[in-house]
Amino acid sequence: MSDVFLDLSANPQAKALVKSLGLPIPMPEPLKRARGVYVERPLMDYSVAVGGLDSGALGAEIAQALTQAGANPLLAGDESSFAYFEGPGEAWARPARALSAESDQCPRLQGLVFDATGIADPKALRALYDFFHPLMGKVARSGRIVVIGREPSATESREAQAASAALEGFIRSAAKEVGKRGATAQLVWVEDGAEARVAPVLTWLLSSRSAFVTGQPIRVSSSVRDNGPHRVARSLDQKVVLITGAARGIGKATAEIMAAEGAHVVVLDRPADDEPASRVARAIGGSLLLCDVSAEDAPERICEYLQAEFGGVDVVVHNAGVTRDKTLKKMKPEVWDQALDINLDAVVRITEALVSGPQPTLRENGRVICLSSVAGIAGNMGQTNYAASKSGVIGYIRSLAPAVADRGVTVNAIAPGFIETRLTNAMPVMIREAARRLSALGQGGKPRDIGEAIMFLSTSGSDGITGATLRVCGGALVGA
Amino acid sequence: MTDNDSKNSSSAKPSARRAASKKAPARKKAPAKKKKKAATRKAPAVQVKGPSRRAVVVAGVRTPFVRAFGSMLRMDTIDLGVAATGSLLDKTQIDCEEIDGIVWGGVVLPGLAPNIAREIALDLKLPSHVEGMTVTRACASGLQAVTLAAAAIERGDADVMIAGGSDSTSNGELKLPQKVVQTLGPLAFGKGTTPMDYVAALAQLMPLSSVLPTMPKIAERSTGQVMGEAAEEMAQRNQVTREAQDRFAEQSHHRAAAAVAEGRFADEVAPLQTPAGKWVHQDEIIRGDTSFEKLSKLRPVFAKQGSVTAGNSSALTDGASAVLVMSEEKARALGYTPKAAFRSWAYSAVDPADQLLLGPALAMPKALERAGMQLADADFVDMHEAFAAQVLSVVHALGSKAFAEQRLGRSEAVGEIDPACFNVHGGSIALGHPFAATGARMVTTMANELVLRDQETALLGICAAGGLGAAAVLERLN
Repeated sequence: MSDVFLDLSANPQAKALVKSLGLPIPMPEPLKRARGVYVERPLMDYSVAVGGLDSGALGAEIAQALTQAGANPLLAGDESSFAYFEGPGEAWARPARALSAESDQCPRLQGLVFDATGIADPKALRALYDFFHPLMGKVARSGRIVVIGREPSATESREAQAASAALEGFIRSAAKEVGKRGATAQLVWVEDGAEARVAPVLTWLLSSRSAFVTGQPIRVSSSVRDNGPHRVARSLDQKVVLITGAARGIGKATAEIMAAEGAHVVVLDRPADDEPASRVARAIGGSLLLCDVSAEDAPERICEYLQAEFGGVDVVVHNAGVTRDKTLKKMKPEVWDQALDINLDAVVRITEALVSGPQPTLRENGRVICLSSVAGIAGNMGQTNYAASKSGVIGYIRSLAPAVADRGVTVNAIAPGFIETRLTNAMPVMIREAARRLSALGQGGKPRDIGEAIMFLSTSGSDGITGATLRVCGGALVGA
Repeated sequence: MTDNDSKNSSSAKPSARRAASKKAPARKKAPAKKKKKAATRKAPAVQVKGPSRRAVVVAGVRTPFVRAFGSMLRMDTIDLGVAATGSLLDKTQIDCEEIDGIVWGGVVLPGLAPNIAREIALDLKLPSHVEGMTVTRACASGLQAVTLAAAAIERGDADVMIAGGSDSTSNGELKLPQKVVQTLGPLAFGKGTTPMDYVAALAQLMPLSSVLPTMPKIAERSTGQVMGEAAEEMAQRNQVTREAQDRFAEQSHHRAAAAVAEGRFADEVAPLQTPAGKWVHQDEIIRGDTSFEKLSKLRPVFAKQGSVTAGNSSALTDGASAVLVMSEEKARALGYTPKAAFRSWAYSAVDPADQLLLGPALAMPKALERAGMQLADADFVDMHEAFAAQVLSVVHALGSKAFAEQRLGRSEAVGEIDPACFNVHGGSIALGHPFAATGARMVTTMANELVLRDQETALLGICAAGGLGAAAVLERLN
């Protein structure tokens, strides 16, 4: 499972040698990942450059998010920008300072945040260049670029739509440029009226918990009922989480992360995996539910169990899945069925059972998170069945999201790219190498990168995100 | 582990346990009562209901505070505690039979006899029934000891208590690495050791550098940050200038020197004789001749471009202070005139990784609220001065509306402190700061000040390691 080039890059001497000799060896930057549980100040002492506040609409939210999370704000802009930081800066003792990109005083920047909500026509896009151009050499390793804009369809004039859409191309390219430093770039599209929900998303994107997420737009809307005040530390206390396929890999990593945040995790896996599944359940103090998700009675059994044991469930993570790769020409019908039954049909049937009825098992402000795949977005040779099931999941969450929004429930999908697991370790060497390197970050992700994304989508702070597919792929070349 | 220990010790005393269980229902009732009170909090300040029995401060006294490794070098924290407590007994002429116990605060505890309180009672040959406990809450230990004594009295557990604290940085212990203990321990306490075991143990202790004692420093266990660095960081974050810090330090020294000159501390500081026979009469850290100009020449200690200097920080100090606390009836029955009582106290904490010494900005509003008061109602405000940067940061936070809104959930700032009633006789920067002695020193000075100046209330605030904050409201008794 080890990545030789990543190990090499982590060794300063070796890295210097490769650089000075000019060897054609990939040198991916080891990603900075958060250790331990959520803390009150995830951006402690980060230097974060902020721009665009003079014309943007999110000055107050950005100021609040940064100061409260412990970042030191460096402002580009006039006095009106500084005004946003006066109150929060004083309350959290993070006064804003003026950004001077040219001087030696400018530190390495852990974050660059640009409020592009004020950009109303293509000419105004120049502000992006003016802000980022002098700072691109200052981006720290594992730094973060976040641009916040208005969603194109929501804006009024055609000029504004063109300008808003331009942000996506900008951010996708920026992600590729900073990827070799382990840094990421994202676009947050804010719906009118959803401004108050941006702060937790921004904080998470700037934090080291979003290490493998890069180069994509993330929509923040107010379509879901407000989940109320957000907790940072131990935000899953008193919550019951169901994770399917939690015996190993991504499911296990997710179970561990969520249990550490206070959740009671129901570890679900098929009866044949009793041993590893019960080991996980024991280690995290969770419960064990052995069940084949594709079985006819699975939805009923799961609902009955959750009702009887906990009176309901707060978060459901559909992680169980299989690959049964064959080109369509050679694929046997049972192979097609297996992939579709487990990856899509079971997800739909179980979720429908959980959200239906006068007293749904999935409680208010609940969360449904389905594992999709970059293959489901981009397609893959020999995966007609798998990719069909994974894009089917995306269609399902899109359609379910509005139906449960008034109960405060969000429904999202996560599309992992190349993740270092048992499955990918079994790939042929050349294909594996290609899959790892053909991404902005030039390396594979870890199961806990997916776990962190699932964890974030489970918090109340993610109540602005629903019906969305979050790619956790390190900026893979394929997939949109 | 501490939890277990306390359980063990209480189960060893059946009588104590019985007493506790008898009281249990009463204790359970308390929160319910509180809720009711909270619901009707709109009532004016005077109607806040106190305990049915009041604990009162009768007198307080302290040793002179001197620089560590100075004239009280040979006196450890127990000796200092004995000196302060002995002076208190002399001064008050209390009948020792009446004393129920001693609650003592300590920060740098003597490893071989950490229960300083009991050692003081034994060294002073007090009647053997005078029990003792020692508490530690970093620099708030002294105030913790006094409020614990007051709580015990108000709860009816005791009538007469001595409370205080002492610390001798001069007698801090060098700690051997755990590796040494765990390697040599089995040889000393294990059984069946062969010569080969000794050889193996020696081999384990290599290299020798790994078994040298570790240098003690005032660093946070969780973050590794030294306290001065934390003060430096707070100065930067709250934009407290070097000038403001030096001006504040100058004022602390000048006020303390003026108090000494007019004999204000004569009643509070008792001279002591060192084992070498030398008498120490006065605080030795105060510099009445210092000036802003002199202070601004000092070099920053914790950062090259920093602002925290030796001059605007409190020094490492040796000293002890003690107060006599009684139930009001007992005090009057014994013919004492009570000086002050606690209207409230509060302890709180902030994230030590953020602004380590900001605790009082949370604890002081909490104590004021419990006392049913506003900051402006306090006639005196006395804040422990670990660093001028810390004091000014806390003052800044208290005066900030944004801070109140976001961190206290209030719509208005806690308030501005009137410089004229703030640390009227200087503070720890000038007087020195023997960690656990500071709380009782502040209680004594403020209790006396209320009587001397005929005022009503004083607000106390102390910051402490771990991000702790402590506060109390003292009120004058007539």
